[in-house]
Amino acid sequence: MRRRLNEAIVFVAGVAMLAVPAVVTDRYVLKVLTFVGLNTIVVIGLALLFGYAGQVSLGHAAFFGIGAYTSARLVMSFGLPWVLSVVGAAVVAALAGWAVAVPGLRLRGHYLAMATLGFNEIMSVAFVEARPVTGGNDGLGGVPFPSFGSFELKTPSALFVLVWAVALLVWLAARNIVRSRPGRAMRALHCTEPGALASGVDVAAVKVRVFALSAGLAGLAGALFAHSVGFISPSSFGLDLSVLLVAAVVLGGRESLSGPIVAMAVLTLLQYLGALLPGLPRQAAEAIQDWVPDIVGATLIAVLIARARGGAPVRAKEALGRGAR
Amino acid sequence: MSEALVVDGLSAGYGRVEVVREVSLRVAPGEVVALLGSNGAGKSTLLKAICGLVAPWAGTVSIGHEDVTGRPPEHLVRRGVALVPEGRMLFGALTVSDNLALGAYAHRDPTQVRERVLSLFPVLASRLGQRASTLSGGEQQMLAIGRALMSRPQVMLLDEPSLGLAPRVVADIFDVLDELRADGIAVLLVEQDANLALKHADRGYVMRGGRIVMEGSARDLRSNDDVRLAYLGSWHRKERSDADLES
Repeated sequence: MRRRLNEAIVFVAGVAMLAVPAVVTDRYVLKVLTFVGLNTIVVIGLALLFGYAGQVSLGHAAFFGIGAYTSARLVMSFGLPWVLSVVGAAVVAALAGWAVAVPGLRLRGHYLAMATLGFNEIMSVAFVEARPVTGGNDGLGGVPFPSFGSFELKTPSALFVLVWAVALLVWLAARNIVRSRPGRAMRALHCTEPGALASGVDVAAVKVRVFALSAGLAGLAGALFAHSVGFISPSSFGLDLSVLLVAAVVLGGRESLSGPIVAMAVLTLLQYLGALLPGLPRQAAEAIQDWVPDIVGATLIAVLIARARGGAPVRAKEALGRGAR
Repeated sequence: MSEALVVDGLSAGYGRVEVVREVSLRVAPGEVVALLGSNGAGKSTLLKAICGLVAPWAGTVSIGHEDVTGRPPEHLVRRGVALVPEGRMLFGALTVSDNLALGAYAHRDPTQVRERVLSLFPVLASRLGQRASTLSGGEQQMLAIGRALMSRPQVMLLDEPSLGLAPRVVADIFDVLDELRADGIAVLLVEQDANLALKHADRGYVMRGGRIVMEGSARDLRSNDDVRLAYLGSWHRKERSDADLES
């Protein structure tokens, strides 16, 4: 029951988000909330990979970047319609995820974290150095707004609704995955790989698929980001974003979607606190902004000391074992 | 007689070290076969090589009449081989119910076999919503066997089911082996407690240094002096064992 209630709350909150532009008219606030929506899409992917399947990735900012540059290039250089370019970007990011996951099968735990961290660093350099494609440190400007045919979404509220509609769909899809057979396989290999193998789970295939899916979602969000902001540069796809994402999943809790989503929303909003709380003195806002990484780190340590499973509520029924589900 | 599991000249190992050397054995449907041997004799590696967790170097493994040598574990589960791994390897953070569902991962409709498993281990039925890690050792072993049964195996490989369990619980678990025999499942049982294993088995093989050095009916092996000396404990135990045989 509690689980149902939880999900109902998340669903209502998600739908309510779509109605926000009717109330909020401040362009800046809408933009910030759009970023929250984009990060929600990425963190859902990472929650599947890390929270459910137990495969850590410190390279999701790179997949986010791959999606952003791919979609921008597909529209700007190849003249692809926006919808196709976003889909193409998600596919390219998923293929990149697949390419990382296959050799990554030999690694687990800290070593997988190191490898994905290395991948993030490599891509950071590549985004800077591949000037003809990415524009290097100067960035890539003039990325066109999302459009369906001649209809262009360019107001902050339209972009907001687009991003949150996609986020809601992604959440619904992810929820279906974790509740059905593939989700069970992911949780199984998280618990014990030999046990999963003995039950007939193709551990390698599940790992690669969930990694590719997760990278694809990051790429999808990256593509939406590129077209909503119109300007992308390598600084948006650095390691700090990857770390923030992992922190959100850890804080949000293992085997949870809503936990990481809420955690990521809080972590994202923290950086824009000054603008969101009009009453906040400027100095306080700046201080918070400067200390965001420290706040994130300290919270992370505190949560891990208090509850190794993260913030998601443990279902009382499971702990006590009253009756069957 | 048709065999459920046939292993022929199987060799396997790790790196350059050969651990299992040209082992041949067979298990018929409804037969419980014990695999005995001291630590390091290669028993667990043999099980792993049979179920695809370790790639065999030579020889063949057949299920029914199908050659499945070196096929990956997820394929073998679909061919009717279930492994109850040493140390159980349960999904500790998941519920008993989820553990059983994962056992049936390879099949679509597990309701019937689920009922059978719960009738074999009634205690699990009262613990369905509980995390596997919160079960007692004996209950965990029952769940591990139950999970393996959920894949509707023709061949079940049991690795050290008595490990770390109280004798009374062990007795309960071994009683279930007799029920599996009635279900027509071929059971290959690796067990440190040779006396116990031979009490419940129909036949047995003895491994030493990676080879099968002896085979025979459970009764013959139990009365064989070499086996007793090596695996059934001291001569003091021999007298108890003799008394068991006569009773």
